[in-house]
Amino acid sequence: MSETIILRIENLHTFFYARSKQAFVRAVEGVDLEIMQGETLGVLGESGSGKTITALSVMGLVSTEPGVISGKIEFSSKGLQQNLLQDLDQYVQHQRKNGRIMAVQKDCGGWQRKTERLMGDIRGKEIAMIFQNPQSSLNPFVTVGKQITEAVQLNTEIKNSREAQQRALHWLERVKIDSPRLRYHNHPYGLSGGMCQRVMIAMALAAEPSLLIADEPTTGLDATIQAKVVELLMELKAVLNTTTMLISHDMEVIGRLSDRVAVMYGGRVMESGSVQEILRSKDGSNHPYTTALLGCIPEEKHIKDKITLQAIEGDVIDTMNIPGGCRFYPRCNQKNDRINQSCKEHEPALKEISPGHWVRCWLYYDE
Amino acid sequence: MKMKKTILEVVNLKKYYHQGRGPFSLGRGRQRTIPAVDDVSFYLKENETLGLVGESGSGKTTVGKTILRLIPATSGEIFFDGKEILSLSAGEFHPLRKDMQMVFQDLDAGLNPKMRVQAILKEAVRVHHQMSSPEVDDRIRTLLEQVNLKESKLGNFPHELSGGEKRRVGIARALAVGARFLVADEPTSGLDVSIQAQVVNLLKDLQDRLGLSYLFISHDLRMVELVSHKVAVMYLGRIVELGLAGHIAHAPRHPYTRSLWSSLVTKESREVSAPTSPGSSGDWGVFDFERSFSGCRFAPRCPVYQEQARPDICTDPVSEPQLYDVGRAHKVACHFPLS
Repeated sequence: MSETIILRIENLHTFFYARSKQAFVRAVEGVDLEIMQGETLGVLGESGSGKTITALSVMGLVSTEPGVISGKIEFSSKGLQQNLLQDLDQYVQHQRKNGRIMAVQKDCGGWQRKTERLMGDIRGKEIAMIFQNPQSSLNPFVTVGKQITEAVQLNTEIKNSREAQQRALHWLERVKIDSPRLRYHNHPYGLSGGMCQRVMIAMALAAEPSLLIADEPTTGLDATIQAKVVELLMELKAVLNTTTMLISHDMEVIGRLSDRVAVMYGGRVMESGSVQEILRSKDGSNHPYTTALLGCIPEEKHIKDKITLQAIEGDVIDTMNIPGGCRFYPRCNQKNDRINQSCKEHEPALKEISPGHWVRCWLYYDE
Repeated sequence: MKMKKTILEVVNLKKYYHQGRGPFSLGRGRQRTIPAVDDVSFYLKENETLGLVGESGSGKTTVGKTILRLIPATSGEIFFDGKEILSLSAGEFHPLRKDMQMVFQDLDAGLNPKMRVQAILKEAVRVHHQMSSPEVDDRIRTLLEQVNLKESKLGNFPHELSGGEKRRVGIARALAVGARFLVADEPTSGLDVSIQAQVVNLLKDLQDRLGLSYLFISHDLRMVELVSHKVAVMYLGRIVELGLAGHIAHAPRHPYTRSLWSSLVTKESREVSAPTSPGSSGDWGVFDFERSFSGCRFAPRCPVYQEQARPDICTDPVSEPQLYDVGRAHKVACHFPLS
């Protein structure tokens, strides 16, 4: 694995405005991520933690106002590095209070036109995405083969329709759809959920992108089929060595496919590090949120001794109303007297507690 | 140990759906039958949980709904508290409704969007019990306390609640009538892991405190293993294996059960990839007219069938495997059970 950084997200903010509540939905508030060439970064978090919105921001697909309002997304491919959010400052003005954005003015139309120009050459070609719900992401009126062929013609050098068709068939075979020649002529409704997901994967990979974003690729599939899709992704990863950002709330899927993991909560990365350090940590030096999440999964010991699960108290964070201090503070079960004051008042920065392992928690700051 | 009473017994339950000649088929085509539930028998002891697992399309939910008579059964018998309920008239069955309730899978469709939580619960309390207003309020307060829901949520509409809260309201409503037996249809699906754990803990806690019995329908194998005393595995409308939760998970006898559980990866073994079982590569676990089966329904996907060089008995239409006892309260429907 080379040490080239393919994607670096710095302090990304993506907000929405809830008119009825007169408040911002702080979907993504200060996300920092890095993806190296050839690695798989697993992004883990509950619903509403901003995983998908981070991905959509990278793809330039957030069109709701105000959308992406600050930050940097550096993407490099073919030796060329560019900031996908270049000149964003010229379109957005914001007022900060205590370091947090409280008011925003954005020329959304102008920014939209600008990103479309920039992303036209990148979206689908350099960065491809697999969406959450395969059946609803495919066009129900067009055969799946045709849809892949279209993707090939649009996103690769192959423009000849015959060649593109061959290419599409090749990818259908690659993703292990049985009898690809028959399936080529099927409409999405004729395929099962697992097969649709394979078609989506084929379509995304057909352009041989530098970065693949897989958003919940296994959600909504049955256990046996989930395992198959994970297996397929593992094989493709081994063969193609595609750089992948894998978004999931399923710790098993993340654990099997990722090299590094970032744990998100309430629009921020709370912890990041190698998969061993985060999901298979021996000494338990994790963010309390990660520890709590891991505690929610039934394991051998729970089943054998009939112990009750350690649920996280309270609800998933309300992104319209993020507390002032640490955003996990209300649900945290590891707060103690030493740090209580800090937890309530300030949110800590990410701290490197061992090489490559970053945690955003006051527990790891000694004062 | 005191022998527990059998609260529910299902005998040879069948539910066939007919896909008939509709008004648009203009006389073409023939009537086709989908055996959603095909000859299912099991029983449930009081204060215990029976887990029902299987892929989507295997008929789990249909079993649950037929037991509660939400949909009519094609044939079979269901005994609740020793009383046959399928032969009862609607009027005779009505009082039994307060004993058996369902927690529905779909969080949003299960609650009336135009009613506040209070009204939803009040309605449920009043259906079967004559109560004065203060009594109803008391009862609602007890229910909220039982399902761990804040009283301030009473004035909210369902869309103002989070997924976990909606689930709690759903459970509270089922308890409101004083149910002793609940069909919990995928109570954890569509919820975040942290909330899933809360819901499962709540269900277990209620079982201990109120002595409830559950039919726990889920495709989350871990959760089923955790909450259930016994587990039934369904495949295409049939129970293929039935036994104690631990045996089903760790010593399965049916090849389908094994492939279900081996698709799970434990935390310890996350690094090693699960072995690929041959034959199970086709991802179809739903009833399909074009792939009609004869004999054992699992044969086309079965690894054992492949290993045994496709024995004829597996596809012989007259010898579809029946559930038989293999000891230790364990039943399996397979010609070549695993050891």
